Amino acid sequence: MKKNGIKKKRYAMAIDLRRCIGCHSCSVACKAENRVPLGVFRSWVKIIEKGKFPNISRHFLPSLCNQCDRPPCVINCPVQATWKMEDGIVIIDEHRCVGCKYCLASCPYNARHINPLIPIVQKCYFCYHRVYAGLDPACVEVCPSKARIFGDLNNPEEEITKLLSKQPFQLLKPEMGTYPQVFYIAADADAMDPFAGRKEWM
Amino acid sequence: MDVNIIYNVEHEMHLGVLIALYFYLTGLSAGSFIISTFAYGFGMIKFKPIGKIGVVMATLLLVIAPMTLLVDLAQPLRFWHLILYLRITSPITWGTFLLTLYPLNCIVYGYFMFKGDMKKTKIFGLIGIPLALMVHGYTGFILALGKARVLWNTAIMPPIFLVSAMVSGLAMMMLVVIIKDYVIQRGKEHDPTLLYDLGKFLVASIVLDLILIGIDLTVLLTSHTEAYVAALMLLKGEFSSLFLGVEVLLGGIIPLVLLLLPLTKRWIPGLVIASILVMIGIFAMRYIMVVGGLSIPLS
Repeated sequence: MKKNGIKKKRYAMAIDLRRCIGCHSCSVACKAENRVPLGVFRSWVKIIEKGKFPNISRHFLPSLCNQCDRPPCVINCPVQATWKMEDGIVIIDEHRCVGCKYCLASCPYNARHINPLIPIVQKCYFCYHRVYAGLDPACVEVCPSKARIFGDLNNPEEEITKLLSKQPFQLLKPEMGTYPQVFYIAADADAMDPFAGRKEWM
Repeated sequence: MDVNIIYNVEHEMHLGVLIALYFYLTGLSAGSFIISTFAYGFGMIKFKPIGKIGVVMATLLLVIAPMTLLVDLAQPLRFWHLILYLRITSPITWGTFLLTLYPLNCIVYGYFMFKGDMKKTKIFGLIGIPLALMVHGYTGFILALGKARVLWNTAIMPPIFLVSAMVSGLAMMMLVVIIKDYVIQRGKEHDPTLLYDLGKFLVASIVLDLILIGIDLTVLLTSHTEAYVAALMLLKGEFSSLFLGVEVLLGGIIPLVLLLLPLTKRWIPGLVIASILVMIGIFAMRYIMVVGGLSIPLS
């Protein structure tokens, strides 16, 4: 608790893959909301298929910046152009970025990209312009099956806090020590594994 | 079980040959600086003839090297942010200062050397050695601290970079001496023992380099899945011909044979071939590290 009695926010996202239908609405909404140029994505849905007919299944993995609690991109940025705000969102100062691309190389989630139009690094920032206006991020707002849940983990009344208190969840690459703040419920291990399905690599 | 990826996004990696070239040039610079201090810092008189060439090469290469970095920046005109808004946890910030201090020290050291002030030359030579080691060691840290990339994130990366810097620096100095003695001043008589001594140093550093590469591979092969995939990429995947063929065979084993066989170790064209092969091999190593490390999929 802070002195003024207002508790610090801690924004996080839960993605409930029991609900995800793989419609790519989140990818489209993100592109439209943030004017993401052609060729790059801040939010996308990885799709895998597994098994042999008739025993087959499809699994989705919506991917975005994990807003890590210990972000390697922030640690490695040489000009303090990216940092983690008090509420947990990792943002980029686009006027300070020199474009050394070391953060792209440091991010274990492939979340950062160079904007092909203006040469600077960009990534998902939980649509903070919407969040600060009291709205949900675009991908959350648009999800037709309500698979994405966004909220403040410090508020016990929020849906995300209740969900994550009850349901088992997974994190992407927890071994990296990044403490990601995007939580996956019922994600498939093969969808989370970068090498599953890449026969040329194994 | 059959797993097929139906859709995925991979962002294009914008780091590549320029960064490999930068690592290569700083390595050459650090290597030739250290060879130049053999005579003027540590008093090994037999290396005196290459002291001056060494410091000139070190300074010139370190003027060119940061240019490749500058060209590689997406926003080159904002380069001054690196000095003004530094973040001390980032190895690139360490580099900002090392890449400023080291060439300055090279210039001062070279100035006193050409003026003939041996006492001050020795002082700045000895100051320069840790700087030269750090300027190349930090490039190893740049890769080692990029923890998303499994090929980079090993504690052996800075030592491998230091040793390969010595290897390429020695090879370049041998070439420079051969060009000076047998091309530019070909009318005169020359004492080739200096070349043979450099050759001995080169043999020792190539052996050390190969040992470190072996250690790295052994640990990669027995570590976690991603590390195993990276080792396979080097041994039989996309980069195997470059790694086994160019880096290890052409850049390591063939020069080693040329420098050790009694038939060829005193044969000047053999030394030329060996040093050119070594320089190509070390560039291949830098390229494999940067581009190969980045080609391993993350999502």
